[in-house]
Amino acid sequence: MIKYKKLLNFDGTEADCIKLVKDNQEYIIPFSPDNTDYQEYLEWVAEGNTPEEAK
Amino acid sequence: MSVAINGTNGITYNDGSLQPSAPVGKNLIINGNMTIDQRNSGSVTTPGNNIYTLDRWQTGLSQSSKYSVQQVVDAPSGFYNSIKATVLATVSLGATDYFMLKHKIEGYNVADLNFGTASPETITLSFWVKSSVTGTFGGGIQNSSEARGYAFNYTISSASTWEYKTVTLTGDTTGTWDKTTGTGLWLNLALGVGTTYSKTVGSWGAGPVLGATGATNLLATGSATIQFTGVQLEVNTTATPFEHLQYGQQLALCQRYYQRFVSDASYTAFATGLCTTTTQMICALKYTTTMRASPTLTQSNTGINIQSQIATASIGTSYLGKDSAFIPVNVSSGLTAGNAGLWNANNNAAAYVELNSEL
Repeated sequence: MIKYKKLLNFDGTEADCIKLVKDNQEYIIPFSPDNTDYQEYLEWVAEGNTPEEAK
Repeated sequence: MSVAINGTNGITYNDGSLQPSAPVGKNLIINGNMTIDQRNSGSVTTPGNNIYTLDRWQTGLSQSSKYSVQQVVDAPSGFYNSIKATVLATVSLGATDYFMLKHKIEGYNVADLNFGTASPETITLSFWVKSSVTGTFGGGIQNSSEARGYAFNYTISSASTWEYKTVTLTGDTTGTWDKTTGTGLWLNLALGVGTTYSKTVGSWGAGPVLGATGATNLLATGSATIQFTGVQLEVNTTATPFEHLQYGQQLALCQRYYQRFVSDASYTAFATGLCTTTTQMICALKYTTTMRASPTLTQSNTGINIQSQIATASIGTSYLGKDSAFIPVNVSSGLTAGNAGLWNANNNAAAYVELNSEL
């Protein structure tokens, strides 16, 4: 089960990273074009999926 | 000054010193002698597709749970470790099936090969292989997009015997080859590849090229094994002796792509931090070396020590650079704003902090 969740900066704006929860493990993925996990996230979004909003 | 060049011994200088192989840095493969295994430390794994096993060595598979991968202490003379793939369930290959071990080389490290130009370099791949199955096996070299590739094959003559193989080829004159932080060149050592991704050996063509036409399918044989070590890719028209690096040098090269800060003791510290609330401490983590890209961060069994020990509940919004990171560590309660603390192993010698910027 894969779940992406948005993260917020200290000022409440949307952060340039996202949290992935996969196999009960949490990963923080930076929005870096060279990061392959970020590339996978973009593909996941392009497939029509939406990350969970930050709370 | 006199210099004696001997085909067996190498180059002997007038002071009697010997240089048996080419200068440092000739091997474009990192961890070709399979000594570094930060993730699994020699334990067997049954990875999914595109999962890194030994450092810099990645799986490629179209069906899961068909083979396992392990770093083992079994190698030909001059080596200590090898990577071993073991068939867990047989597969009759469909046209689009593929099972392989992959090694992706960063563009910066192959930019000088001049692939995609009118004057590409000639390169030579050499490696040791041992398999329980004899026959002609295959592999491929391709660019990042898999639009261009070159299939090669080699023959394993004797079962369960280490054999040395070499493949020499002139680089591709066309195609787009990454020359910076992306995948510059991609080596596939095929275990079994269907017809769609198997190509005729000996020439560059349209990809993907994951294996060679007519090659043996290791996965046709239950419990079959294949091992590789001493994998070297160099700019040369012939293979030269394997470039042995010291363990620390090899580890440092691997850490550009993957770093695991391991605990090895109950309360090992990973970083110092400042508590900002009763539930969060912000930490600065300096990496061991500059990473290829801003890495993905994860952790296991860490905690915060403020003279008492509190388990990590989660990691907050982090700012991950290529050299260092700003990491908020969250706990359920117990911190005092303004106090210092340690991000450490939570009484767990298996705790770790992991940074991943693999290709």
